[in-house]
Amino acid sequence: MSRSLNILVLDDDVENAESLAELFAMDDHKVIVAHDGQQAIEAFSLNKVDIGFFDVMMPGKNGVDSFIEIRKTHPDAQVYFMTGYSADDLLKTALENGAKGVFGKPVDLPKVLEMLEKAAA
Amino acid sequence: MSSGNAAAQRIQDASVLLDILDNLPTSVFAKDENLRFVYSNEAHCAIIGHPEAALLGFSDSDFYPQAEAQEFLARDRAVIEDGITIETEEAATGASGISIPVLTRKTRLVTAGGKRYLIGTNARLTEIHKREEQYRALAQTVPVGVWQVDEAGVTQFANPRFLAYLGIDTDGLATTELISKLGGARQDFPGITSRFETDLTSSKGVERRVLVISSGWLSLSADGLRSAIVSVVDISEMTQLKRVNDEINRLNSELADSVRKLRDAQDEIVRRRQMAQLGQLTATVAHEIRNPLGAVRTAAFLIERKLKDKGIDVEQQLARISNGITRCDNIISQLLDFSRARALQAEETPVDEWLSRVVAEEAEKLPASVTIECDLGLAGATAVIDCARMNRVVVNLISNASEAMVGKGDDPAKFATAEPRILIATRLTGRGIELTVSDNGPGMAAEIRQRILEPLFTTKSFGTGLGLPAAEKVLLEHNGGLEIASAPGEGATFMAWFPLSQPIMNAA
Repeated sequence: MSRSLNILVLDDDVENAESLAELFAMDDHKVIVAHDGQQAIEAFSLNKVDIGFFDVMMPGKNGVDSFIEIRKTHPDAQVYFMTGYSADDLLKTALENGAKGVFGKPVDLPKVLEMLEKAAA
Repeated sequence: MSSGNAAAQRIQDASVLLDILDNLPTSVFAKDENLRFVYSNEAHCAIIGHPEAALLGFSDSDFYPQAEAQEFLARDRAVIEDGITIETEEAATGASGISIPVLTRKTRLVTAGGKRYLIGTNARLTEIHKREEQYRALAQTVPVGVWQVDEAGVTQFANPRFLAYLGIDTDGLATTELISKLGGARQDFPGITSRFETDLTSSKGVERRVLVISSGWLSLSADGLRSAIVSVVDISEMTQLKRVNDEINRLNSELADSVRKLRDAQDEIVRRRQMAQLGQLTATVAHEIRNPLGAVRTAAFLIERKLKDKGIDVEQQLARISNGITRCDNIISQLLDFSRARALQAEETPVDEWLSRVVAEEAEKLPASVTIECDLGLAGATAVIDCARMNRVVVNLISNASEAMVGKGDDPAKFATAEPRILIATRLTGRGIELTVSDNGPGMAAEIRQRILEPLFTTKSFGTGLGLPAAEKVLLEHNGGLEIASAPGEGATFMAWFPLSQPIMNAA
């Protein structure tokens, strides 16, 4: 029996963030939505986050910089990145700093759900 | 020898003797010791242009031009005073003003009484002799070395220019040496007609480029010994001019080359700037469109889930949304590949292994009517490739082949070929890996084949016209290329090639 996960979705694109959140909630996960890096950092400090889905390019602090900051206080943070086109250097930095993986946008949903299922098992 | 007639006697009569003298073709004259004329025969009167009566008692200075007369009288004095005999070729200008070339012989006669006379004769030089003189003068002054040598190797003539070119004097005319100097190793020189250039170094160390022309053996004289005329022309300046000219031509073509390279470089800068702008634009558009596409996909996914098991038939509509999103995403990928917005993410890859996976995945998406076969021959060879982009190249080539044969595959009546078949093959060649995708479809005409790599050119109602140009760009970025062979009715073969494991060129 799978357990419920605490998922943080970080995307400045509200439609994207909200629809992903709804999808994950449908599978009985608890979802927190953040629209900028600072909110994501705060969300990590206030909640126990099992998995993060981070957009890369955002106004203000980008997803990768936010992730690196989060890793300072949460070295085990499990974060996946989502990107519309590859910001290669940033993604490389993210993976070098322990990011779990990268999904291209539009996100391949069955793959994401399959991954979540494994994580919740 | 018969004896003479005893009746015949030597002429004693002075007037008869004078008549004989008047009838001689040779001019005869006599001067006293003061060099005044005391006798002139008819021939002499003809040269000087006055009758004998007008001459007697007068001297040369009364008839000939001053300079001429001085010359004649000086010789006359030597003959009278010293008793020598003088023979000279000279020109005598008579009353008519015409200069007559003559061979003059002067000698002294001393009578029994001790009186001294000068006896002179003039033989007119023939026209031929005159012409010979002209030719000789010409040979002396012409700026060409002239050498006449006979078959016995004896120099018959050499003009001063020839001697100067060879750096020798008349005593130095050793024929064998001249032949080796002029003709080098030429066996038949100067006996055969020939014409060649050679370098001469005179004794003064001056180097000359000369043109040597040999007439070959000619019969020039009646003695049967043939001669060759060898001309030597200095072409150093011409050669120098030619060198200068060649140098100018070379510099000109270098200049033209530089101008062309400069123009190409400018074009390349403009093209790169345009590509960089396109890349930036494409990256922005990709980002901006993929975000809402993501939202649409997730929303459609949610609708599908929510309506599941509710008996509302929207499966087809949802599938259309999903296909639409995939198509938009593919177009963005093509644009990104075409505009080279990103550097390659290349890594060492066993090509056949990678290709089998791509083909297997793609084969499932092809219409069932299309057969796909592989003939992979790389035996584990690897290449440094960006797999994501190379995937799109292979997928593009496969879907093009399929579409050319069966369109979207839903209407067998519109199939261009009865048994649509795609063959994917790899092999190693001198330039690296060749990956061919061949079909047995309708093929294409030359004018389409020539345009098919142009951006935005498409033969399909649903294509962007960027698939093949993007594929080519990706291959170029891998230091490879895309080649196409096709003819109407003979299918088409697209050959992608790229080097074996080697550094990859950076993206523009």
